[in-house]
Formats: sequence, C-alpha cells, structure tokens
Amino acid sequence: MGLKKYLKFRVLFLLFWILASLIAINPKFSTEGVVIKAVEKNSSASSAGIIFDPSAPLTNREVIKRVNGQDVNNLEDYARILDKINDSGIVRILTDNQEYVMLKEGDLGITVEKASSSNIRRGLDLQGGTRVVLEPEEKLSNQEMSDLISTMENRLNIYGLSDLKIRQNNDLSGNTFVVIEIAGASQEEVRELIASQGKFEAKIGEEVVFIGGKKDVTFVCREDGTCSGIRQCNEFEEGYQCTFEFQIKLSQEAAKKHAEVTSKLDANLSAAGGYLSKPLDLYLDDILVDSLQISSSLKGQAATDIAISGPGIGANRDNAIEDATKNMNKLQTILITGSLPTKLNIVKIDPISPVLGEQFSKNAISIILFAVLAVAVVIFIRYRDLKISLPLLIISSSEILIILGIAALIKYNIDLAAIAGIIAAVGTGVDDQIVIADEILSGKKRKELINLKEQIKRAFFVIFVAYATGIASMIPLFWAGAGLFTGFALTTILGISIGVFITRPAFAAIVENLEEN
Amino acid sequence: MTLENFYEKHYKKLMLFSYAILLISIIFLGYKLATTGDIIERDVSLKGGVSATVYNENLDLNEIENYLKENAKDFRVRALTDNIGKQTGIFIEVADVNENELRSLLENKLTNVNFDNEDEYAPGTTSTGFAASSYKGLLIALLFAFIFMSIVVFIAFKTFIPSIAVISAALTDILAALVVVNLLGIKLSAAGIIAFLLIIGYSIDTDILLTTRLLKRREEGPFYERLSHAMKTGLTMTFSAIAALGVSYFVAIPEELKQIFLIIIIALVFDIITTYAGNAGILIHYCKKKNIT
Repeated sequence: MGLKKYLKFRVLFLLFWILASLIAINPKFSTEGVVIKAVEKNSSASSAGIIFDPSAPLTNREVIKRVNGQDVNNLEDYARILDKINDSGIVRILTDNQEYVMLKEGDLGITVEKASSSNIRRGLDLQGGTRVVLEPEEKLSNQEMSDLISTMENRLNIYGLSDLKIRQNNDLSGNTFVVIEIAGASQEEVRELIASQGKFEAKIGEEVVFIGGKKDVTFVCREDGTCSGIRQCNEFEEGYQCTFEFQIKLSQEAAKKHAEVTSKLDANLSAAGGYLSKPLDLYLDDILVDSLQISSSLKGQAATDIAISGPGIGANRDNAIEDATKNMNKLQTILITGSLPTKLNIVKIDPISPVLGEQFSKNAISIILFAVLAVAVVIFIRYRDLKISLPLLIISSSEILIILGIAALIKYNIDLAAIAGIIAAVGTGVDDQIVIADEILSGKKRKELINLKEQIKRAFFVIFVAYATGIASMIPLFWAGAGLFTGFALTTILGISIGVFITRPAFAAIVENLEEN
Repeated sequence: MTLENFYEKHYKKLMLFSYAILLISIIFLGYKLATTGDIIERDVSLKGGVSATVYNENLDLNEIENYLKENAKDFRVRALTDNIGKQTGIFIEVADVNENELRSLLENKLTNVNFDNEDEYAPGTTSTGFAASSYKGLLIALLFAFIFMSIVVFIAFKTFIPSIAVISAALTDILAALVVVNLLGIKLSAAGIIAFLLIIGYSIDTDILLTTRLLKRREEGPFYERLSHAMKTGLTMTFSAIAALGVSYFVAIPEELKQIFLIIIIALVFDIITTYAGNAGILIHYCKKKNIT
C-alpha cells in the first residue's frame, strides 16, 4: 500500500467509526412524548398485550400517543388523564404501534418516562434509584446462585418493580455479592423484599402442610377483587386494624398432606359449626403472620382451595388499609416465587435521587466539554498552530463520540464511574497525540532520511507501551469492590483501545497531510 | 544557563532530591501506619458507616456540623449544590453511629424535614465488613496494576537500571500523592483509590518517552537535544493533563469525581520532579557509564 493510500485509509477508517457511532447513538434534537419504560408481569397492561423489550434501542421505545382519546405530550398529561379514570374503568392506550384496551385495576403495570433523546443508557448514578449490594449468608453453588437471582428478579417483578438490574460479582477473596440496581423504588420496599428470605410455611402444630413456591401453590389470586382484597377493618385502642384475604390453590400433593394432617385432629364441635382443634399457622421467615381456624368439615379432606389472610395496622383507617395491602402484596409475591436458597444481608445500600442524577448528567457533559477546551488552549499556546490544535480537538471529541457509540451499541450503562473512565481515556489520548505531533514536527525539522512511516512507528512504540500498561492496570478492577468499578475499567479500556487503533492513526495522518501542504 | 550546563552541574543533586521525596514519603506513611494502623484516612465507602442526604435549601451547614460534633466523633458534612452553585441540601457521612441513631439525631435538629419522604431524607449504609473487603480488593487491584506495569516496562526496555528508574518514579508519584492527601486531611473514598490506579498510567507516559528518546534514538541528535525534545513533549503532555483535570475539578459536582481529579493533579505535579529530576538524573548517570551520547 502506498503511503498516500495508507493515510487516506486511516482517515476513512475513523470517519466510518464516527458515522457508525452516530447511527448507534441516534441523537434526537427534539424529544416529545411519553414512552413505555417497563411493563409488569401479570398486570393489566401485559394482559392487554403490551410487550416491553428491554434490549430495544432507547429511541425505538413504544410512544404513548393518546389515552382514552386525549393527547399525551408529556408525563404530566399522562398522569393527569390516568388519574381521572375511575377504578375498573376502561383504558385505551394508543401507541405508535397499535391500540391496547385494558381495565384499570389499581395500577396498570406500566412505567413510563420521557422519550429519550438518544440511545445512550444512563446508569443509576445519572438517573436516580437505589443500589443495593447483598451478601448471601451461606456459601452457594453456582446453580443455587442463579436460582437465587432468578427468584429475586421474579419476586421484584411480581411486586411491581420491573426497571431493575441484578448481577452477581465475585471478588478476589472469594466472596460473592449480588448487586441490584432499581430505578424508582422506595428504599423501604426494596429492603423488605430482598433482604427477607421469604420462607413461607403453613403449619398445623409442628407439621408443615405446604410452603411457598410453584410446587405446593399452583395459583395465587391477585388484583381480582372477587378473590383477593381487604376484607374488614376494625378500630382498636391505638388505631385501626384491617384484614386482607386472598385465595390460593394447592397442588394435589399439598392437598393430600392437608388431608393427612387434619385427619389426626379432633373436631371441636360447637354451635357455630365448629373448628378443628389446631389452627393452620402461617409463618413468614419463622414469624407467625396469622392463625386460621380450620372448619371441622375439612377434617381429612384433600382441600385444594384455601383462603390466606393476615393483618395490617395503622394510625387511621387509610394507613391500616395501605399497610394491609402492602403485606398482602408481599405475601402473594412470596407464595408465587417461593423462598430464596439462603438469607441475604444488605452490605451496602445507596439511594440516588433522580434530581441529583439529572444534575450529574448535565454536569458530566460540562466536565467533558471544559476539559477538552482546556487541553485545546494548552496545545494552542504550545504549538501556536491551528493545524495541530484543531485536529487534536476534533480527534479527542470523536474519541468520546465513539466510546459513547459503542456503549450505546452494546447497551452499556453510562454511570459516574464510566464518565471518570472516559475522561481518563481522553486524557491519555491527548498525551499520545502530543507525542505524535512532536515526532512529526521534529522529523520535519531534522529533514533526515528517516521516512515518515519510521517516524510514526517510533511514536507508536511509546504509545503501545503506555497502552499495554494502561490495560494491565485496569484489569484487576473487574474483581474489586463488588464490581462497582467495572464501568470505569471498561470505559477506560474501551477508550484507550479506540484511541490506539482508530483515532490516533487518523490524527497522525491528518497532521502529516496538513504539515506537508 | 543552557539545559546541558544545568543538568551537567546538578544532575546528581536532582536525582537525590527526587529520591529524597520517595524516602520521606515512605517514612511518613510508615509512621502513619505504625501509629494509626493504616496509611490513609478512609471515608464511609471504605470504612463502613451510614450516610444521609437531606434535600432542603434552608439548612445551615455550620450549625449542623456543630450539632453533630456533640454526638459523633467520626463524621463529615458537606453541602450539595446545583449547577449554578446554589445549595440544594446536605450530605452527611458518619462512621460511629448507626442508621437509626443518625435519623433520630437529625430528627431532633431538623424539624422542618419530613424524614419519611425519600425525596427529602435519603439514608444509605455500608457495612464495615463490605467496606473492608472493598478496600482490600482495591488495594490488591492497585498492587497488581503496579506489578503488571513493571513487567511491561521491563519487557519494553530490557535493561535493569532504566526500567527501575521508570518504576520508582511511578512509585514516588503514588506515595508522595498519598502523603499530600494525608496532609490535606482528605478522607479517601473508593473513587480516590481509582485515582491512584490512573496515576500509574499518567506517570509512566512521560518516563517512557524520556527513556526511549535518550536510550533508543541516538541517531536523532546529541544527548541533550534529545533530552530537551523529550522534555518539551512531556511537559506539554503533563500541563495539558493538569489543565484538563484542573478545569474538571472546578466544574465537577459529584464529590467522587472531584477527588479523583484532585489526586491525579497532585501526582502530576510530583511527576514533573520524578521524571525530569529523578529519572533524567539516573539516565544521565547511566548513559555516562555506558558511553551513550
């Protein structure tokens, strides 16, 4: 390949990556409307056929155009229109795909957000939410660990938290952590749901009749007023107590167990029809939730339909209803998903406010902008030559663009650590470009017989040694601090690799060409 | 005085000066380790403890600080500001009281805050065990990074003394920065340790450049011309990095990023000394012995 051709190829290669990154990021200059961000399993929305694909590019998310004939232009519109619809009212949601019709039963089960202006995914730091690091109390096998993660994911989903990420991380000392990031959930709910093992046992005396999970409980009635809800509220001294009740169906096996245990009990016959001598005790994580009297007619029967109940208390009626609803939702969730293989301890929990996240996002853009500008000023002072400082500015900016483009393509979340990584990578990039610029300029001054290729090869010796050490110093981070620094290590490695293989060769080509002319 | 005269006259002193910094840093950190059991002050992310963010525009930072002083020993309070510098709330970290204690302490003081609303009061915790394991993990990462860097340097230069010169320059930058961090009373966060990882990369850039020009590019001109050339390039690199990080430090809002930028700036200032006094001094001495001109 001739030198000229080679130069041209390097610049074209960079242009290709810039273009590809722009396509991957797909920046939009006007963003209006509300998009679907998550859909709960088994909710009205999912029964109506709304499917949410979390891996779809952010700018391709389903846009909600109208609700019950009224235009939806922003989040406020959406909330206002939905608020006006009565419970059990019909909701018609028109999206850019089709119209969905559903009944409003409490919550629709859709999480919405403002339409995204690009495909760059923001991490928790930049959008707000809760990050929790959990440590299993016992050592788990790989199989148990993946069971744990899927049960937990399922549990959070059923509870109504669908915008979340769960991952496992092993550190160098052999500890295993589970890291959960949940957008838009209250800390209290998260703590209760994930730190409790969720071991549900229904016992008669000392004998376990059935436990939570699919094997024993084949159906749990939820969000259907005919078989689940708050049944009664009573005032007592310190406030109110409400009782929830919902139906479940037991498997044949569990029903048989019920028959076997109840057949041994005495029937306490009284005027009201009578109950068996021992109640059915419901335990959640070894704490008694409720004791249910068993009708004497069920003695020895293989009962598959069982009503589960429990209390909720509060200072006033509304609080008590709210508490009972929360407890019911939790119990239903646990009965469906079963228990976790072990108890988990919360070792770190950090709240990130959405306001702060929004502010950090804007701040990140300013930091990068000002940093690049500061470098351009120093470079201009040093060389007093726009033919060097301008390409440097352009190359550094394109480096950032390509990092973001690749992150958008591989659906990687940009968080604070990743921003630090981008700044670190661009800093290294600038250093390398200065080396290249100086090699080219000094080579010209000396007018020696060393050809241009040799000159660049020399510059690249320094660059490659620095590159190798850069990569080497980032790799250990993948195993430190429960993987909270993976984003940093990944963007830094990505950034310096893009620099060495894409942008720096192009920079050398551009400066050479400009200096020759 | 020309660069050549200056270096010929002073290179031994320069070399000693750079290594004196290393020695003093080691003594300082050794003393710190012997007296406190650690070489740095760790914040809650590395020590464990509780944090709380209170979002309220009308909080007096000093008042809260004085109030906490009466009830806790190991704590830190800082203001949260928005993009134009207006206070939006405060962030509190405490290592020696638990979550409930902190909440009730603050509840007594901040009567206009609704502590049940997470948009106004957001608590966080890091367990001591997890913090200790994170700290250990990051130190191991730092150690590995340093070892990997050393191996790469040895492979690149294949000679003992010049390689050791580069590696000891990086070591000095890290340790001296640690001393300054201590003197400034900075409590190091997990992000701060990341900064030390980055120092490794920033530090050796200029050293590799200098060593390569002096040892491997003899056809490019006389010794001191090569040295001056490497210095010009290297100092441009260091000053652009300081400029970029300095601006970022003032623009940045997240405390974690600010700490990273500050630590690297400190190390870069030391890097000017370790590269052009320490490393250059050793290389001049080495080249004289090996008759490299």
